[in-house]
Amino acid sequence: MWVPFLGLLVGLLIGTALNIPIPGVWAKYLSIAVLAALDSAFGGIKSIFEERFNAAILLTGFFSNTLMAALLAYLGDQLGVDLYLAAVIAFGVRLFQNLAIIRRELLNIWVEKRRLKKRKRDNSE
Amino acid sequence: MRFFKNWQLPLAFVLFFTGIMLMLALHAVHGEADSPTQQKNKKLITMVQQQEEELEQLKKSLHDKRESLNKYQKSLSEGKLETEKLQYELDKLLILSGLYPVQGEGISVHLDDNTKGKELAIQKNPDTRIEDFLIHDKHLLYIVYELRAAGAEAISINNQRVIGPTDIRCVGTTIQVNAERLGPPFIIKAIGDPDNLTRALETERSQYNILKMSGFPVKIEKHNNLVIDSYKGSYQFTHAQPKEEE
Repeated sequence: MWVPFLGLLVGLLIGTALNIPIPGVWAKYLSIAVLAALDSAFGGIKSIFEERFNAAILLTGFFSNTLMAALLAYLGDQLGVDLYLAAVIAFGVRLFQNLAIIRRELLNIWVEKRRLKKRKRDNSE
Repeated sequence: MRFFKNWQLPLAFVLFFTGIMLMLALHAVHGEADSPTQQKNKKLITMVQQQEEELEQLKKSLHDKRESLNKYQKSLSEGKLETEKLQYELDKLLILSGLYPVQGEGISVHLDDNTKGKELAIQKNPDTRIEDFLIHDKHLLYIVYELRAAGAEAISINNQRVIGPTDIRCVGTTIQVNAERLGPPFIIKAIGDPDNLTRALETERSQYNILKMSGFPVKIEKHNNLVIDSYKGSYQFTHAQPKEEE
């Protein structure tokens, strides 16, 4: 259960430790890539609760989404169209949807557990 | 709860990369956001540091220069006596070599051909040897050596400085001194004690006296401040070399 959190922690630590100076021009594309990565991660978490988790879909989605998001943003900049906004909106909307689903699922689980406990207590009494 | 088994590692993997990218992006954006003031501050800090370093280096070089200046001054004062001595030696040698113009008291000896005597003699006897009425190289040579013997410190003939290698010889109708052709009248200048020099020239058997007795128009003038020009030719030693000390 704690392995993904451990992964996130290690990633954050390594990211801080690396301290690679990113040129200002690339910072924007990296931000878009982060957004895509977060979207993939939350999509993965959501799929766990929906009980249709697929590692292949998660990994391919993660890599293709991050790369394509950055690439599209870059392409948009070259074309003079703010394509990165499209990525921000698409990923942002999906991120919030996923978060909402996760929240609801967690709530369901919690409510279910409480009900079960209550029933147990009732039964014991 | 079977899904706990196979979703952990892939999700950990994804979150791991997300974490790295998130931190990098945060760092980049953060650095970017602070750029106008922070970068300026950083620039100013580095500038101040550079200036301080430069100042330090300049101070050090100033110190070094002062030290070397002190050293030079010290060695200068120490070497002053020696250089003065050397300069004195050099001056002496330059006077001796005739490369310096010199001045001092001395005499000038005026010599000319005995033209009057020659004409009289020709009138008497047309076969007279006219050479006997001319100033010859030998006369100059003898007079120069008489002057030297009397302590002359510098000698010139018609402003040709007489030095060690000076040649005085007959070349046709002229006399060559320092490879320069001279004709009468001859003025020999000599710096030295005027009385001594005059006395030496006027002794009974001196060349000057012989010329005077023979009726040549000669005379001696004493000078308080006689100037003798420097030797203008070159010194060349093709054969002579300083003997190596053993």
